[in-house]
Amino acid sequence: MSNVIGQRVTRYDGMAHVTGETKFVDDQVVPGTLTVKALRSPVSKGKIKNLDISAAEKMPGVAGVITAADVPCNAFGLIPDQPVLVGEDIRYKGEAIAAVAAVDEDAAMEALEKIGLEIEEQQAVLDPLEAMKDGAPQTRPEGNFQIWDDNNYRQVNLGDVDKAFEQADEIVESVHLHPSVEHAPMEPICSLAVPHAGPKLTIYTVSQALYFHLGMLCGILQMEPGDLHCKQWKAKTGSAWRHNTGYADLNYVGGTVGGGFGGKNDIMADHVAALLALKTGRPCKWRWTRAEDLLYSTFRGAWHITIKDAVTKQGRIIGRQMTSIRDAGSYASLNPYVVEKHCYLGAGPYFIPNVRVRGYCVYTNKPPASSMRGFGITPAAFATEVQMDQIADRLGMDPWEVRMTNAFRKGEFTPTKRILNSVAVIEVLQNLAAKAGVELPGHLKAMASTQERG
Amino acid sequence: MAEGEFFRAASPQEAAGLLAQHGGSARVLAGGTDLMVAVNKRMFKPQVIIYLGDAGMSGISQEGDALLIGAATPLSVIQASPLVADKTPLLAAAIKQMASPAIRNAGTIGGNLANASPAADTATPLLALGASLKLVGAKGEREVPLAEFFTGPGQSVLGADEIIAQVKVPAQPAEAKWAYRKVGKRKAQSLSVVSVAVYCSISGGQVSGAAIALGAVAPTPLLAQDAAGLLQGKTLDEATIAAAAKAAAEATSPIDDARGTAWYRKRASEAVVKQLLTELAG
Amino acid sequence: MHTLELTVNGQGHKVEVGLKTTLLEVLRDKLHITSPKVGCNTGDCGTCSVLLDGVLVRSCITNALSVQGKSVTTLEGIIEPGDIHPLQKAFHENYGSQCGFCTPGMILASKALLDANPSPTRDEVKEALSGNLCRCTGYVKIIDSVLAAADEMKS
Repeated sequence: MSNVIGQRVTRYDGMAHVTGETKFVDDQVVPGTLTVKALRSPVSKGKIKNLDISAAEKMPGVAGVITAADVPCNAFGLIPDQPVLVGEDIRYKGEAIAAVAAVDEDAAMEALEKIGLEIEEQQAVLDPLEAMKDGAPQTRPEGNFQIWDDNNYRQVNLGDVDKAFEQADEIVESVHLHPSVEHAPMEPICSLAVPHAGPKLTIYTVSQALYFHLGMLCGILQMEPGDLHCKQWKAKTGSAWRHNTGYADLNYVGGTVGGGFGGKNDIMADHVAALLALKTGRPCKWRWTRAEDLLYSTFRGAWHITIKDAVTKQGRIIGRQMTSIRDAGSYASLNPYVVEKHCYLGAGPYFIPNVRVRGYCVYTNKPPASSMRGFGITPAAFATEVQMDQIADRLGMDPWEVRMTNAFRKGEFTPTKRILNSVAVIEVLQNLAAKAGVELPGHLKAMASTQERG
Repeated sequence: MAEGEFFRAASPQEAAGLLAQHGGSARVLAGGTDLMVAVNKRMFKPQVIIYLGDAGMSGISQEGDALLIGAATPLSVIQASPLVADKTPLLAAAIKQMASPAIRNAGTIGGNLANASPAADTATPLLALGASLKLVGAKGEREVPLAEFFTGPGQSVLGADEIIAQVKVPAQPAEAKWAYRKVGKRKAQSLSVVSVAVYCSISGGQVSGAAIALGAVAPTPLLAQDAAGLLQGKTLDEATIAAAAKAAAEATSPIDDARGTAWYRKRASEAVVKQLLTELAG
Repeated sequence: MHTLELTVNGQGHKVEVGLKTTLLEVLRDKLHITSPKVGCNTGDCGTCSVLLDGVLVRSCITNALSVQGKSVTTLEGIIEPGDIHPLQKAFHENYGSQCGFCTPGMILASKALLDANPSPTRDEVKEALSGNLCRCTGYVKIIDSVLAAADEMKS
């Protein structure tokens, strides 16, 4: 294989993108495809007392209506806590309760209006700090905290933090609020499920996580996981590659994603489209509106981060205590993993010998939050970098110097004791200063990651 | 399924007649940049559409000291018009900051005004310039000063069987000074949080006529008449400007919404008026 | 239903549409021309951009019946016989496209610009593309692509 490092390479799918030949899920044309629309909860928390779809089923143009009763296994996710359609307990405003497949959007929307729905509304909890209090309304029967071992937080411990605070010249504490963020990919959530003989179903998906979701879908649909076959095929344009994977019953087609950024790491539409395709025997497409996508697709949950550092007069951080609270929304999704990664990277690219991180994953009556660009690391980096500037302010030091003084050196280790043998934080900062037109003092210019810490 | 009726009006009079005939079920369509958004959001289901694109209502001409702009003239056509750039540069400057090129290619000046949004970006320059509207109804036509057109958010004096046919804009005297600024969440494709148009005639170093118009800070686009009055006969010095800016902010009655708070809008109104008048003084 | 006659990429079509049918629905659902995308359906994102008699518009908020007798150009229609358009080449070579979802609208908005202004400045390109959103690229490579195409089209 030739060495392509430093070479400009042609994108394998670039020509199809610029000619309009790339087929995203919504671009698949299958004659007779039905339009799917969902009935979503108008309340953040409540119990369904009555759900009557009989009138909707009889509406002109309606091919099928599904509820929780139609879902073979109504719980999914890495921690399988999320229903495809709500059976009884509503956990967030916008949660899907029933879905309709009809000949067009008008017929589907009119059918939704005919669904009888009675809800007993309950007290919701929307603020994670409130949800952490004793006696708060419970988002889940298991409680509002994600449990790790016997703790209601994920912890990372290194060294002796209490001793570090005793030895500190200064203690710098700061609180950081990071709002929730929607990925807003240009392609909204969309799924097309086509029933047929042979494998029972083909699903065209926007998934960023084909293999995770394939297994989950087989679980939801209770399809027999036969021999797994996985292949890549070249589309007839000769330029666009797609993944085509499946179990014996399920063909799962994806790989052409119109922007994801972590926002398509959870199943949001494939299960409902599949169930309606199986029920009606016709192709079913569920394309979310932009408003549905913004309101109800997964997003980066909000964070409340407190950092307290033990610092020497020279600007060395010798100890850190960090407490982070993640607003996870109503279901696990990828939240526990997001919180774990946040905790592992809580010290940023700096060598802090004594660290205590506690990461709380708190459930509230909001749509489930999930992954976005960095799985929790990005908010940790945001808080850490603001904190570095605050330390510099307190000590009257140059913020470049505070960063370079604490930056990882070769052979040092992270709070999880991962030893780093290839490190270039100091060199990156030197390069950055040069590009920003900042003249670093001589001793910072002479600093190197390979030098042992003095 | 009944699909309703689509009429291509050949003239504003025909359009008004169709409106009278079909009553509340009819909607007027020009560029569609507001109407079709509402349709797509399922805010209403159109029964009858009266299309103005073929009604001979697009075009810009000069009549004496005024410009006559057909209500169905796309915003981009007005923006690009040498006549508008020459006679009413304030209007051209405001339109340049509206929405984005594709929206300006479809959206019309009449549609922007007829929707009577408090944030209508053509309203502030047109109010400052003293524009008037020709309304055509089933029973005849009338001219209404723009300053008397808006009555509330989404509401105007436009009758159920009337359409805006034409906008008449007095030309800016060559020596008149003007400035415009829009504050939005981003530069393009953004609804105004505050917009301000100021327009002054200055002779012998003193203000001989002034208008200050503000958008998105009251139930309707607003002419701050007291503030403009404070400038009359004065030189644009720091104290005069500060007093006028304060009076302009006092004339506002903004609301909190997703784009900005009332608190912010009031202060931004004062700051922007001050900034623009300082620009004129300099 | 109403009968709509229009020309798309040089070819005449006659289709049946309703009162609220959009041009985007005609293109995608009736004619199966899928380069214009459904991104927001409210005129905000630009993925549905097409040229209507050469003028850039949002097909998602263009009432289908208002384009009676007019000529529509989509990304498929700017491919010249045997060769792609310089804008398509430039977007490909300068990595102006990442996920590809905004690309058809971006290229058409760029074409509308270059048709009117063959030598735009960087700021003029930004202004011309200000209504077309991209979440992948950060726009730098897109602007580079348009300027590269302008250079090639001049030479």
